[in-house]
Amino acid sequence: MVTEQAENPERVLLLTFARRGEEDVIRGARAALQEAHPGATAFAVATTESEPALRAAGISELVTLDGSRSASAVLREVAARRPTAVAVVYSDSAWQGHLKLEIVALWSRARAIYRCGPDGSRQAMTRASLWASVAVKGLQAALRLGAGALAAGTAFCWLRTAQALSGGNRADRA
Amino acid sequence: MKTTILIINHNGRALLEKSVPAAEAAARAVEDCQVAVVDDGSADDSVSYLIHHHPEVKVLTYRHRGFGPACNEAVASMVTEAVVLLNSDVVVSEDFLPPLLEDLSRDEVFAVGCKFLNPDGSLTDALGNRTSGEWRRGLLHLHHETDPVKLAETCPQLYANGGAMAFRRERWNALGGFDDLYHPFYWEDVDLGYRAWARGWQVWYEPASVVYHDQGGTIGRLFRNREIETISARNAVLFTWKNLLEPRLFGRMLAAQARWTADDVLISDQPPRARALWAALARVHAAARRRAEEQRERVVPDSTILSRARGKPW
Repeated sequence: MVTEQAENPERVLLLTFARRGEEDVIRGARAALQEAHPGATAFAVATTESEPALRAAGISELVTLDGSRSASAVLREVAARRPTAVAVVYSDSAWQGHLKLEIVALWSRARAIYRCGPDGSRQAMTRASLWASVAVKGLQAALRLGAGALAAGTAFCWLRTAQALSGGNRADRA
Repeated sequence: MKTTILIINHNGRALLEKSVPAAEAAARAVEDCQVAVVDDGSADDSVSYLIHHHPEVKVLTYRHRGFGPACNEAVASMVTEAVVLLNSDVVVSEDFLPPLLEDLSRDEVFAVGCKFLNPDGSLTDALGNRTSGEWRRGLLHLHHETDPVKLAETCPQLYANGGAMAFRRERWNALGGFDDLYHPFYWEDVDLGYRAWARGWQVWYEPASVVYHDQGGTIGRLFRNREIETISARNAVLFTWKNLLEPRLFGRMLAAQARWTADDVLISDQPPRARALWAALARVHAAARRRAEEQRERVVPDSTILSRARGKPW
C-alpha cells in the first residue's frame, strides 16, 4: 500500500500558541501552508494549552511540550522529523512576541520558513531574517528580564528586611 | 447567635430590587437576625429606594471608598455576633441561613462560605465554591471546585468568597477585616481566609447554603476587562509579598515573578503580569508593613495552611 506520505514526503511544521477558541487561526495558517506545499503532512509542537485547539483544528500529529521531558528533547525530536517547511503563527500582524517558537523554527532547519498572521495571511522569510528577529527579541527579553529581576529583587530586599526587623515568627518558634 | 445580613451596595439600585427582598425572607427564617445595607457612596437612587420600599432594613450611608473599607467600617459599627456579608449582586435562597450559622457555631471556625450558583441555577464557571490553592509560577493559584459530587460535602476551604460569607465578628476584628492593601477589589477575601488559617482558625464551605451570583454584576459595570485583569494580577502579587513568610518558597516565587516580564517577548499577549509586578512595587512599603504584622501573629506555617484548607469533610 502506498501511503499519502510516501507519495508526498513533504512535512510542514506548524508552531502556535493558539488556544481553545482560536482554532480558526490554526486552520487559516494550515490553509495558507497547503497553498505553498500542496499535499504536505502537517505536524505541530503543542503545549498543554494549545493541544486541544490543534486537535480541534485537525492536526493530530503533535510533539508535546508538557514538562514531562526537557525542551532540548523536544527540539531534537522536531529536527529528527525533518520538516521541509515551518510556519510560526502569530497572534498579531506586527509579528510580536513568540520568541520561543521562532527558536524552534530556527532549530528545525526547515528549508522554507513562513510567518502567518491571525487572519490567515502568509509571508515567506529567509533564515537570516529569522535569525535577526530572534536576536532582537532575545535582547528585548534579556532587558525585560533585567527589569523584572530589579523589581522582584527590590521587593525581596524590602520585604525580607521588614520581616527581619519585626522580630520572630511565631510559627517558626512553634 | 445575634446575626446581621450585611449587603454592600454601590450604584446597584436594580440589583437591590432582587437581593434585599431575598435577604429579608431569609432573615425571617431565623431568630434575632436583621438586614442592613451599606451604601458605598452610590450616585443612583439606591438609598431612597431602600427607605421607601424596605423600611425595616437598616441603611448605612458612606462616602465612596470601595468594598473593603465599607465592609470594615460597617462591621466595626455593629453590635452583633455573626455577620453574613453579601454583594448586592447575590440573591440568597430562603433557607440558606440556618446551615451557615450552625457551622459557624463551632469553636474553631472563623468563617463559612456559601454554595454559589449562576442565576439560572447552573454551576458552569461558578466561582467561590470549595476553594483551595497551590503555590505555582510565582503565585498562589486558586482552584474553585466544580464537581457536583465534591460540592455536596461540607468541608474546609481556603477562603470564603466575599460575595456571600458568614463570619464571627469578634474574629474579624482580631484579623482587622479586609486589608485595604488590595484596594479597590479582589484578593481581600483570599487574604482574610489565609490569615485566619494562619492563626489556627478554620474556614468552611457549606453546600446547603445556596446563593445565586450574577458574576461581574458590580465590578464589570465599573471597570474595563483589561483593568480588572491588571488589578487582580497586582493583588495576587501583593498577596504573595504580604503572606508568604517561608524564606525558600518566597524566594522561588519572587524569582518566578521576575521572569514574567519577559513573557510578552518569549510568548505573546500574556495576562498583564509584568505591569502587575510594577504596579505592586508602588505598594511594596505597605506590603512590607503588613508582612511584619502578619509575622507577629502567625502560628501556622505556610506549608501547612494549604493542606489544612484541603482537609476532610465533616
